[in-house]
Amino acid sequence: MKRRIFYGLAVLTVLFGLWGIYERVAFGHRHASYGSYVVWGLWVALYLFFAGIAAGTFVFATLDYLFRVPAFARTGRLSLFLTLIALGAGLLHIWLDLGRPELVWKVYLQPNFNSVMAQIVWGYTIFGLLSLIMLGMSFRPQRYAGWLKLLSAIGLLLALFLSGGVGALLGVQAARPFWHVGLFPVQFPFFSLASGAALLLFVYGLFDRAANEHRHSLLHVLAILTLVLQLIKLYFLWADFSQSVYGGVPMNVAAVRAVLFGRYWWAFWILQIFLGSLVPIIILIWPRLATRPSWAALAGFLVLLGFAAARANIVFPALGVPELPQLIGAFHSIRLQFSYFPSLMEWALSVGISGLAGLIFLIGYDRLPLTPAHVRTA
Amino acid sequence: MAESPEKFIPGRRDLLAKIASTVFAGLVARAIVGEPAPAEAATLPELPPLPPAQPDEDPLIRMMRDLQRALQKPLEQRRWVMVIDLRKCVGCHACTISCVAENKLPPGVVYRVVLEEEIGTYPYVTRRFIPRPCMQCDRPPCVPVCPVYATWKRPDGIVVIDYHECIGCRYCITACPYGARTFDFGDRYTEGTPGAQAFLVGEEGASVYEVSPAFEYGRPWPRRGEAQPVGNTRKCHFCLHRIERGLLPQCVVTCIGRATYFGDANDPDNLVSELIARPNVIRLKEEMGAEPKVYYLL
Repeated sequence: MKRRIFYGLAVLTVLFGLWGIYERVAFGHRHASYGSYVVWGLWVALYLFFAGIAAGTFVFATLDYLFRVPAFARTGRLSLFLTLIALGAGLLHIWLDLGRPELVWKVYLQPNFNSVMAQIVWGYTIFGLLSLIMLGMSFRPQRYAGWLKLLSAIGLLLALFLSGGVGALLGVQAARPFWHVGLFPVQFPFFSLASGAALLLFVYGLFDRAANEHRHSLLHVLAILTLVLQLIKLYFLWADFSQSVYGGVPMNVAAVRAVLFGRYWWAFWILQIFLGSLVPIIILIWPRLATRPSWAALAGFLVLLGFAAARANIVFPALGVPELPQLIGAFHSIRLQFSYFPSLMEWALSVGISGLAGLIFLIGYDRLPLTPAHVRTA
Repeated sequence: MAESPEKFIPGRRDLLAKIASTVFAGLVARAIVGEPAPAEAATLPELPPLPPAQPDEDPLIRMMRDLQRALQKPLEQRRWVMVIDLRKCVGCHACTISCVAENKLPPGVVYRVVLEEEIGTYPYVTRRFIPRPCMQCDRPPCVPVCPVYATWKRPDGIVVIDYHECIGCRYCITACPYGARTFDFGDRYTEGTPGAQAFLVGEEGASVYEVSPAFEYGRPWPRRGEAQPVGNTRKCHFCLHRIERGLLPQCVVTCIGRATYFGDANDPDNLVSELIARPNVIRLKEEMGAEPKVYYLL
């Protein structure tokens, strides 16, 4: 019954997403709410979110293949599958966000490697291929044990480079003081790891066969890890915001104020802090609660929700502060506004991509030999 | 060389009329023929005739002469700059509108806005108008971030975009400290308007204007469906297509207060060289280190 609800939900969201795809293909970017000032919207935020998850879940795959952590034995295959799904969802978001998606090949054939964007496009492509090869090899783990170890080591470095690179993508922008934080490339790998751990908590909590026979200890380890990473995340947040406000650079202060007290204050206080941080911390701090599958799944889901809101709270407020204060009202157009809320088409496409990711996971979980039990029987 | 008294010396009005008709004829002819012109012409085009220099001549004539002199030099020896005298700007927005018309900018795409600010408190209060084109920075932050080399700084200092190369990632827009780049969403003025057959209003009448091509970078860009520059980043290029034909940028020509100056800063005899050597000159957000080439006189 539970599975049917999941499938039904996934199919419905995909159908909604198909409408979004139609809108995107038929009308280009005309039905999007972002403009030339808040130039990146929901799709970029969710690209950062899904790409972060992909790097995070890959790190957990290496706990099986590279570090041979007993609690994570035979979980690597499913982690790699989740990596590929999350990466696909992220890249689909960013591809459809391009003004000329048909020209994306230019990033491969004439890349400007001085651009962080070109670097991470190449990096994610190599990372995706590497994860795919590893997933293929994972079906014959005895034969490819050495290769899996080697590729895991390479992939681990790549995952750290890429998640840091996403931080650098924003961090190198001196025009946006809110992003221009030297520690962004350091912070983002922590965010990736935290979101990867949260996804595994969600999956292991919700799907019986996803975890190995040590499900209890697996949930326990993930709970502790998620808890610690949540606290680190909150510390980074505090450090960023307090220094920005104390420093008093107007553009920076304006962005922080927009996050804390702006039109979408609830996205920060309710989604990111209360539901996305405090509630999961309360759940995860109690081992008896954290190791109960349904509670673990809930905590994982809430952390992911918080991270999605956090990505939006990183992207939109920085763009919502005018580079020159007088730009507000200098020229009137719906494309030249400093406020942003995603349009129905944007939501549809994102919900659809997320639903598609969920549907692929469900099919993989039910139809493919991906779970630890399959690894054992193999 | 002394001019003979018999030689016809056109007046200021004659000259401006001639320039305007030349520009219009050129645009219409190319719109009809659809012949692309090279962006970086190897040979010098036929330049508009100018009267001999006079002490009290209109700065436009002086700038035209300076421009023609600059065009005789190799591209890499030119350094185009713009100077805007804020004391003369009255905030009429003629430059913004003429830029929109010159480059056939669609809704939401704007190259040159006029920023307005109120200074002081009553009764000592005034308004200041700050036109903001692209700063054509010497160290443009928008260039290195482009993942596909679709935007670059030309040898003469103008930062350009190749619409056929731009993938529309908009990374350059986020990198610009001046908000000078906008994205072409493919919006149309006539979208959703009634289908009346009027000349200017109504879809049938107005769409004729809407689909007529822009001539940015010296070639026609008809607005057909989703063709470029839809889905691209766009920006001010100092009317490169005009400069290369010996014409001043449209915003300079249409400034009613002669508040905007344009020229080659590598030429010590150029008007802009005189202006940017004054002590009351500033540049916006100098602390960003982008070395903008638009100067403001306070």
